[in-house]
Amino acid sequence: MNSGGKKIGWIIAFLLVTFAGDRGGGALLNRIVSESQFRFSRLYRSEAGCDLLFMGNSRGLIFYQPYIEEKTGLETCNLSYNAMPMSLARVLLEDYLDKNDAPRKLIIDISMLDTRMDEHLSTGFNCYTPFSARLRNFLRERFPKAYYGGRVAHLYRYNNEVFQRALFYWKKSDKDWLLDRVITPTLQEKVKAEEPFLFHFTPQMLADLKAVKDAFTRKGVEVVLVVNPYYPPFAKKIANLHELIDAIQSATGLTVHNYADSIAGVEGFGDYQHLNKTGSRQYLDLLIRDGILPVDASIGFTEGKGH
Amino acid sequence: MIFNSLPFLVFVAIFIPLYFALKGRARLLLALVGSYLFYGWWDWRFLSLIALSTLVDYWVGAAIHKIGDEKKRKRLLLLSMLVNLGFLGFFKYFDFFISSFVELLQSLGLQPSVSTLGIILPVGISFYTFQSMSYTIDIYRRKLEPEQDLVKFATFVAFWPQLVAGPIVRASDFLPQFRSDHPFEWDRFTKGTAQVLWGFFKKVAIADSLAPIVDQCFADPMAFGSVNLYIAVIFYSFQIYCDFSGYSDIAIGFARILGFDFPANFRTPYFSKNFSEFWTRWHISLSSWLRDYLYIPLGGNRQGTARTYRNLMLTMLLGGLWHGANWTFVFWGWLHGMYLVVQRLFSGLWANAMRLARAPGWLNTALSILLVYLFTNLAWVFFRSPDFATAASVLQSMASLEGFSVAQIMNKFLVAKGIVLIAFLLLVEISDLRLNYGQLVLRQPVFRLASFAILLWMIAFFGTFNSNAFIYFQF
Repeated sequence: MNSGGKKIGWIIAFLLVTFAGDRGGGALLNRIVSESQFRFSRLYRSEAGCDLLFMGNSRGLIFYQPYIEEKTGLETCNLSYNAMPMSLARVLLEDYLDKNDAPRKLIIDISMLDTRMDEHLSTGFNCYTPFSARLRNFLRERFPKAYYGGRVAHLYRYNNEVFQRALFYWKKSDKDWLLDRVITPTLQEKVKAEEPFLFHFTPQMLADLKAVKDAFTRKGVEVVLVVNPYYPPFAKKIANLHELIDAIQSATGLTVHNYADSIAGVEGFGDYQHLNKTGSRQYLDLLIRDGILPVDASIGFTEGKGH
Repeated sequence: MIFNSLPFLVFVAIFIPLYFALKGRARLLLALVGSYLFYGWWDWRFLSLIALSTLVDYWVGAAIHKIGDEKKRKRLLLLSMLVNLGFLGFFKYFDFFISSFVELLQSLGLQPSVSTLGIILPVGISFYTFQSMSYTIDIYRRKLEPEQDLVKFATFVAFWPQLVAGPIVRASDFLPQFRSDHPFEWDRFTKGTAQVLWGFFKKVAIADSLAPIVDQCFADPMAFGSVNLYIAVIFYSFQIYCDFSGYSDIAIGFARILGFDFPANFRTPYFSKNFSEFWTRWHISLSSWLRDYLYIPLGGNRQGTARTYRNLMLTMLLGGLWHGANWTFVFWGWLHGMYLVVQRLFSGLWANAMRLARAPGWLNTALSILLVYLFTNLAWVFFRSPDFATAASVLQSMASLEGFSVAQIMNKFLVAKGIVLIAFLLLVEISDLRLNYGQLVLRQPVFRLASFAILLWMIAFFGTFNSNAFIYFQF
């Protein structure tokens, strides 16, 4: 073969190797995602059936599952994720209903109705697109670059924190995680200088929440909306929480249970917006006391579900 | 146009085949037009600055060469400096000096009614003015013949691969390379591509993956436990290294594909055993520029110890100011100047201490590398901070050790990704130091093919594709 032919051969070999490696690597990572114990992998494997389903942003992660299951005897699934936007939450919850039996209750922390939530986080769920047409359509419409990037390079689908978590929870449960730190004195002091905090919510967010409520209600699921606790001095800085609550109540027809300043003291908080394990237990006891979390295990119906 | 953007990929896909399809003057004109398009994509209005700087230096260079009278030659050189440094001073430092002056007056109890102009900093001005100035200075020193061809000279000033963030290539190294048409060479193409891919990997995979942690911590240092600030400072050292050396690799790689050889701009700087060595490994084109056009003309180390220290401090202070119009950059330069001075004062003492302690050579080397890295990081805190208050908050929080525990680490998954990428970088750099990876691997076609594919996979898997600008664009 002459020199020109060799070079062309070299380029073809390079393209083939690159393509084959990308597809092979993508298939391997897809297998990890599909086998993972991470909550969204279980969702798409139809193994996330439960009695109590939770949704929220990082503040929704304070629904500490081991404690709830211990206290109520009911099975739980928490689909909360850091900076979860309402639009993505809707897609995931609708997929949940399609792929798993309906839960008894759906509890949503409404603080994710805020434009500060990371819409771009949705691109992280690229790694779950092989399992969901709804998710594929959502990404194609909202984030075409990320969607088509994932079509061109399959490895790119796994270039995100969501995949890293799926990898981390490949062989272990993701239920037993919660902040284990106490808010630092510096941060406690800093809150005094904070500007007033405002929720920025949009009509689309309210529409998405209503759609979720309607979909779950149709399946006989009780939908409960709550505001999880904030560090009290920070809770005082929230200027328009009642405006948000009113808008949600008006859009969904549901009551919002406001626990924003229900936990006092410092030791229950990891930072301004998040309870730690201690605070979470105190808060969950309040939810049990108020009947939001049912106590009697006999009211659960864990048997006969699709998990 | 920035390298990690779609318009640039389109630009390159058209430019490179066209470049090799053309010959002689047509190719040179394409290089010039392409370079102006590359720069004008950002803001076409500032093309006039490059054009003016080019015309002045072209004319001054020719005039200095022709004239024998030393006074006139000096006047012409001053004209060139005045134009170049005038542009730089106005666009980069005018607002800074005005606001510093106002603050000074306010601290004296006066209330001056002076306002800044809100001037936009033209991208890459610090790089191309230094490159252009080296031309006239070298002609003045009779080290270089002036370029007769204006198009060649204009292409030298504006050549797109290194136009906006270096390396600063001297006229004496660059202009002679225009003398012949460079035919397409397969070997240059593959080696250049390897360097481009490695540069992209450093930028989009490493630097841009570390950036969110760094940005978050430096935006509000008091909001995080000290452990996060230690992580942020270490991450920043690798972010800025990968960002800047990544740009240099891409620039040098593209130049190599096009037939030009640019000098290396970085050589594993964090493995330096002392600060003099650091400055022969970090931003080499700037440090050698400052050495040849500032430190040595000031007297270098030829006029006694005190003058040497003064020259070192002045050079580093101006080197700091070159980076940006902020006192934090000046302080960064001052710190590095002090490091060089202190090192000269105590290097003998250190050697004696090591000898007395009978420390083995490897321990001495490891300790020296660690010390240089730690003090470099201290200086980076000021370099990264927008103001002294932020730098003080970062250092205060780090010193307090408040919240120094694993539980306090924020964004653990991003941190873990950063650690994996840094470990990979160090592995490649150490193996390169030991094995000369570039020679060993790139010589074998199979390994070459494999390393290209691996880099592409890693870019797809780790890359951040939000077209983050390179840090050094702001300088």
